Amino acid sequence: MQAETRQSEAAGKAGKAEAAGATAPAEPVAELQARSGLYALLGRCLEAELDGELLALIRGPLRDALDEVGLQLGQDVFEDDEAALLDRLAEEFTALFVAPGGVLPYRSVFETGRLFQPQADLAAQAYRESGFEFRNVHSGEFSDHAAVMLSFVGRLLDRQAGALAAGDAGSAAIWEERRSRFLTVQIGPWLIGWARRARSCARHSFYVGLLELVEQVVWDDLCQLCDAKTLQRLVKANQKPLVRQKSDPEFRKASGL
Amino acid sequence: MGIHEKFKTNRRGFLKLGASASAAGAILASHRLSAMENELGGADYSAVTGEKRKAVPYTCMACNIEDGGVAMVENGRIVKLEGNLNHPNTRGKLCAKGNSGFLHVYDPDRIMTPLLRTGKRGEGKWKRITYDEATSLLAEKLREVIERAEAEGDESIRNEIVMKWGRNRTGGGIKRFMHALGSNTMVNHTNICESSKKVGLEPSWGPDIESCDWANTKYILNFGSNILEAAYFMNPNSQRLVDGVVGNRARIVTFDPRLSNSAGYSHEWHAPYPGTDGAIALAMAHVIMNEGLYDADFVRDWTNVTAEQLIEHLKPFTPEFAEQESGISARDIRRIAREFATTKPATTFSYRGPVKHLWGAYQEAAIHMLNVITGNVEKKGGYCLPRGMGWPQPEPVPPKPHAPSVLAAPPLYPLASHHVSTHAPYMVMRGEAKVSVWMTYYDNPVYTYPSSHVWEAFLKDESLVPFFVSFSCYMSETTELADLIIPDVTYLERHDPESMPSGLYPCLSIRQPVIEPLGNTQEFRKTLIDVIHKLDPDGELGIRQYFAFDSVEDWMKQHFDNIPGLKEEGGYEYLKKTGVWPIYGKVDKETAKLVDDNGNEIEPEYALYTTEIPAEQMLGTEIRPDGSIVKDGEIIGVRVNERNCVGFGTPSRRIELYKESFRKYGFNPLPTYKRLASRDKDPDELVLTTYKVNVHTQSRTASLKYLAEMYHKNPAWMNPARAKDLGIGDGDLIRITSPVGYIVTRAHLTEGIHPDVVAVSTACGHAAYGRLATLKHRDPAADWALGGDPDITHNVWWDDRGVHPNPIIRLSVDPIGGSQGWYDTVVKVTKAQPGDKYGDTNVSVEQAMKDYDVTLRYAYTGDLHRANHQEVDVDWDNLPAPELKAGGH
Repeated sequence: MQAETRQSEAAGKAGKAEAAGATAPAEPVAELQARSGLYALLGRCLEAELDGELLALIRGPLRDALDEVGLQLGQDVFEDDEAALLDRLAEEFTALFVAPGGVLPYRSVFETGRLFQPQADLAAQAYRESGFEFRNVHSGEFSDHAAVMLSFVGRLLDRQAGALAAGDAGSAAIWEERRSRFLTVQIGPWLIGWARRARSCARHSFYVGLLELVEQVVWDDLCQLCDAKTLQRLVKANQKPLVRQKSDPEFRKASGL
Repeated sequence: MGIHEKFKTNRRGFLKLGASASAAGAILASHRLSAMENELGGADYSAVTGEKRKAVPYTCMACNIEDGGVAMVENGRIVKLEGNLNHPNTRGKLCAKGNSGFLHVYDPDRIMTPLLRTGKRGEGKWKRITYDEATSLLAEKLREVIERAEAEGDESIRNEIVMKWGRNRTGGGIKRFMHALGSNTMVNHTNICESSKKVGLEPSWGPDIESCDWANTKYILNFGSNILEAAYFMNPNSQRLVDGVVGNRARIVTFDPRLSNSAGYSHEWHAPYPGTDGAIALAMAHVIMNEGLYDADFVRDWTNVTAEQLIEHLKPFTPEFAEQESGISARDIRRIAREFATTKPATTFSYRGPVKHLWGAYQEAAIHMLNVITGNVEKKGGYCLPRGMGWPQPEPVPPKPHAPSVLAAPPLYPLASHHVSTHAPYMVMRGEAKVSVWMTYYDNPVYTYPSSHVWEAFLKDESLVPFFVSFSCYMSETTELADLIIPDVTYLERHDPESMPSGLYPCLSIRQPVIEPLGNTQEFRKTLIDVIHKLDPDGELGIRQYFAFDSVEDWMKQHFDNIPGLKEEGGYEYLKKTGVWPIYGKVDKETAKLVDDNGNEIEPEYALYTTEIPAEQMLGTEIRPDGSIVKDGEIIGVRVNERNCVGFGTPSRRIELYKESFRKYGFNPLPTYKRLASRDKDPDELVLTTYKVNVHTQSRTASLKYLAEMYHKNPAWMNPARAKDLGIGDGDLIRITSPVGYIVTRAHLTEGIHPDVVAVSTACGHAAYGRLATLKHRDPAADWALGGDPDITHNVWWDDRGVHPNPIIRLSVDPIGGSQGWYDTVVKVTKAQPGDKYGDTNVSVEQAMKDYDVTLRYAYTGDLHRANHQEVDVDWDNLPAPELKAGGH
């Protein structure tokens, strides 16, 4: 319901913008582009194992910026032999996000305990609506993957920035509305909770830090988009606490009969 | 006027009226209400949109019964599974395991991408790779072995390529793969299953199992089989059993040390001492033969023994002897023997209970004989031959390699036609065989085998198993030790031809993907094709020609498109629509019988052995005085009552109660009974038995939520009287100790168990197989493994995953049938000791290795053999030498 309201508000805004004939953007183009880059980075880091190119970025051009946002990475990320480090990170990536027993990065799993449930369809539908199509690279990847969702937000930000830069406020508003809706409806209910849980299991500083950053970035955006009541609802949806049932001391049930 | 005044009757009167009304049956049935399962079988509707769901037929593989199923698919997702009404034997019904099977598909603990080991074996460190990389790596490893064999001019080196499977339903796919590679080393799982049953039957009448006509029988003697819950063909057999007992008023008598639900359903339950079924069956045969209750014509015409021979042979096996051995009274044995012989038709059924002992093949032969001497074979309502259908293999078919494999067919067990897979790790550890590439398919020996820890030690040892590949889509106790995992898909996403003799109507069925393999995973057949194409890209090794399939579908078409009858109906495409061929008729909604359009029952064929030999085949034959029809020196049938009958699948075409093949190796050629060592245990000891439950297979269903919730812990069943002697109370923590080691579990006291037996079910106590099987989330250190699965965090109300008994079960193999004696381990049961924790398992590999030596002493080459078979008339100094045969697959 919240999303629907926001959608109609956004549509209204877009209509007004069009009527006024391209007014000043709500967010400056550069900021949108920067945020797009941030989401793209988060998405890429979670989508697949790090490669040499990405590691070089993290060790070089991004190092200071990452440090500035408070991402504390171990010294090995910057100093260890590249090949050995990439192997270790790939091992950690597989254990955390791919192999059985890991914290699978799918909304379907977080919400239903099963792979590839309707949550995957909703994500794919949102991608299609905006002109994207999900294609897996490895087997066992689905459209409701946290990384794909984050990358999608990055793309939406980028489109919005592009539209604004071209003076197309109407399109920019549509992109903004889609992003807002996707963040609130499809990311909001689970991704922070998932990232928190995955972080608690990560054993390498890179993924500990990365997942904390994901949490913060998404939460920050949600705070911008949602009212207090919605935020409360989202917090609850993300919690999914471990419920320890009391064991039954009545042993007769032990037979399972 | 009050109601009591108006109706001057009482509760008894109402009941009487109700009973009369019930008798009126269909006349009073509402025409507005109809059972949904009858009306909607094969059709289903979305609860949200109301739209009809896509119905895709398939063949189940939750266990090995291969029931016919229909998957309901909505938006590309399986939302429900139900039985396929076209299937003549399973008739629209699935069991709990079958209904839950779709959970396999969406299980977050499923392996969805190939994994390459990066840490030590079993350490749990992996790197994901693509199917392309994985199949290339395997092809490279296989090619290394083949090139070494070529370079050294030694074909037998190719046998270092091993394929070990648990459940192979590939319809010849694995055999094609292995033969194409030039290896005979295919190691099945049958000796931990029912192989001694098979070997007790095959030399006698050809096939390896019986197919009882339950629905039409009047008397069932059930030896050690849990028909309603777990035995072979559980779903179809239990349906027909209920038809027989309820619809045909058949009597059922069960012998089982444990009160299973089948025993509880029986008119009589008798709890014999474990492994004494054979003594009871022989004593019944003794009564039937000596009291003249046998079918003299059938024995004369259709067996290779005389009644006099049998009477003489059965002399020692009196009911009093059987009472001493089994604890079942001679009086009951006599009475039941007479009832069985005089109630027509009648049948026995047996499964693992009698045969999973050191002398399992003898026990099965003794039970089988009861049907033969009473003439119940192939009668309506009797003990029938299994009915199955074959399918052609695509040409060219790779020839069987010449070099025999010692691992596939250990030469010390020449009669074990289903081989001795339990011995594989011991043989390699002892240097009797060498391995280069070990592949495992649908198999979990680190959990399912006796002394299972030996398999773990073996597979962890890189000097013994240099390269270990698993094709599993689950991280089982075995798969987690692999170097490379190339995940298969689940059975709802793959192709196979099938024909299970699960009833009296032979049929073919198809397993087909009801959805596309999830997340672009790849079915095993595709992996085999890819590996072969990479191994022999240009065909120079002569291997590629055997896998010249454009696709998996192309492979299937070559199986199904040229079968006479099916071909005319549309072959593969027809099967994709119906799931099964032929379609005999409809399932009657009231009787569950197969009926034609007019509602008349379609009866199966009986007396298959009397099928007449075609006239053209009779040309050039001679008929011997005993009726044997001989052509080109081979008996092709038997002439009985002026009819040239095809007979049974034996060299004499008769039922060979006397097995010359047994005598040749110094075993008793006639059904006999041998006392087990467990029969002479100390009074304070118990015999450990295991059993399967109705909602689980041995190993691979523990990760299914519906099933895990229903059954997840397995306390040890003990008789209260014996428990009292041992100072054990209900629910007490106990130690069960065998010579191999001990486990710590809890006691469940029940009268439903023989006082000398402690029984622990399988399917529990997993150390791997996903978070539900292991309940690792209860271990604080492993909270991270939650994966956010709400079914774990909110709905798992139990905190007990049970304790697995296999580590303490001793290796003990039937020297004839090669079967593992699961129920021969003698144990001590005591209260747990200070410091013991529930689930503790402490076992020794060294001790288990000693059991290997002990069991070899029983083999026909062992030092105990002659002493155990003094009655056999054979030249003991000149028994055949062990011979390495080129496998049996």
